[in-house]
Amino acid sequence: MIGPSPCYLNTADGYHGGFDKSDIEDLLGMMEMNFTGWANYMAPMALKQPIESRTVQELRSTFVSNDPKVARQFAEVTFYSDCRDLLKQGQVDTLILQCSNDSIVPIEVGEYLHQHLKNSRLHILDAKGHYPHISHPQETASVVKDYLEVN
Amino acid sequence: MTHSLRYFPAGLLTLSHEGYILEANETFQEELGYKPKELIGEHLEKLCRPGAKMIFHSYFFPNINMYGVVKELFVKLKNKEGTEVPFILNARQRPMEELQQIDVVLLPMKRRMEYEQELRQTKLQLEETIREKETALDQLKNIYQEIQAKQETLAVLNSELLIAANTDNLTGIANRKHLLELLADYNSLSQSTGESLSVLLIDIDYFKKVNDVYGHDAGDEVLIGLATFLQQFSRPGQLVGRLGGEEFLMLLPNVDKTLSLAVGQRLKELVEQAQWETVGSLTVSIGAATLIPKDSQKELIKKADLALYYSKENGRNQATHYDDIHKD
Repeated sequence: MIGPSPCYLNTADGYHGGFDKSDIEDLLGMMEMNFTGWANYMAPMALKQPIESRTVQELRSTFVSNDPKVARQFAEVTFYSDCRDLLKQGQVDTLILQCSNDSIVPIEVGEYLHQHLKNSRLHILDAKGHYPHISHPQETASVVKDYLEVN
Repeated sequence: MTHSLRYFPAGLLTLSHEGYILEANETFQEELGYKPKELIGEHLEKLCRPGAKMIFHSYFFPNINMYGVVKELFVKLKNKEGTEVPFILNARQRPMEELQQIDVVLLPMKRRMEYEQELRQTKLQLEETIREKETALDQLKNIYQEIQAKQETLAVLNSELLIAANTDNLTGIANRKHLLELLADYNSLSQSTGESLSVLLIDIDYFKKVNDVYGHDAGDEVLIGLATFLQQFSRPGQLVGRLGGEEFLMLLPNVDKTLSLAVGQRLKELVEQAQWETVGSLTVSIGAATLIPKDSQKELIKKADLALYYSKENGRNQATHYDDIHKD
C-alpha cells in the first residue's frame, strides 16, 4: 500500500488523519470548480492508452457529461470514510509505503496502520510528496521488489 | 527576472520539479502579503492548506508529468496571514531542459469567484426547483392513478349497488321498486308504439297456512321456489319480480288480453301440477290486465289486483282477466 489512510479526518479521539472537516469541504469545492480538468486527467490514466485515441475521447466525454455528481460522491466517500474498525480483520501480509514528510497523510497514520494491521511492515521512503510511485518510481519499485523477495 | 516581469500584471512562479519555488515575481508575493524574495526557496506547500495540497499532488504534478502542461486550474492559496486567496493558474514544464523547471502564471480571481459562486448558487437553486417540480409531478401522477383506481372500484361498487337496489333479498329476482320502474318504461314504450302490454299478478293460495304449519323457513323456501319456477316459465323479454309478501308480478310485453289470460291459465295449471318441496302441492290465484291507451301503470296494477281479487273470491287456483269481470 502506498501512502494509505484508513481515515483522512482528524477525530475527537485524538487520531490525526491530516484533514479537518473544513479542509475536505475546501477540497471538494476546488474539485468541483476544476471538474472538467479532473475528467481530462482521469480518462487517459484509467485506460492507459495513447492520448486522444477514440476510446479516450468517448470516455472523456462521458466523464465530463455525467460525472460531477459521481466524482463528488466518490471524493466524499473517500475523504469522509473511517474504516479503522475494520483493520483488525486484515490478515494478508502488507507492505505500507509512506513518504517521509508526506504532504497529505501524516506519518502517524502510517504508524497507526502498522500497529493495527497484523503481518504488516512500515517502510518510510526518502521520497517526499504523496505519490512516490510517480515522483520517485525507482526508489518505490526497489523497495517493493526487496519486500517481495524476502516474503 | 527582468524588471518588467517582476511587476507584470500577473503572478509568475518558477517551480523546481519537486515543487520548490525557484523564482517568484513581486506581483505574486505582494498578492499574498509577502515581501520580495521572501518566498524564494520555500516549498509550494507553504502556501497550501490540505485541500490545495491534495489538488497539487493529485492533479497538478501528474498532469505536468504526463502532458507537460496544466490549464485553467482553480486553486486556493494561503496568504501570509493564513487567509485563502482563489487563483486560476496555467503552468508549463520548460521543454528540452534537464532540470524540468515549471513556469506558472497565476491570476487572483476574488471578484470572478463571487460571480462563480453566484452562478453555482443559482444552478443549485435551479436543480432544487427542478427536483421539487419533478417530485410534485410524481405525486400528481400517483394521485391521478389513485383516483383512477378508486373510480374503477367505485364503478364496480355502483353496479353492485344498482343490482342490490333492484333485487329482492330473499328470492334474488326483481324487487317492487325495480318492477314499477320497468313497468313505467314498458308503459311509455307501449303508449308510443301502440304495442300491447299485459301483466299477471300472482298470489300464492293459503300462504298463511304454509307459514303456520311448516314455519317461516318453509314459507321462505316456497317463495324462493316459486320465484325460480316463474323465471323458468317466463319467455325472453318477459320479466318476473316479487311485489311483496307472497305476491309476484309478470310483465308481458307484446301480449294482448287473450294471450295474457291463456298464459295465466297455463301458469296456474303448471303450478298445480308441480311437486313442491316440504308443502308437496301448491296453487296460485292470478289476476291479468292489459294496457289500454292513457292507462297509467298504477291503474294497470290496480286492474290486475281487482282481477286477482275476483279469482280469490271465486274459489282460488284460477286466472281471471280484468276485462272479463262483469262490472255491475
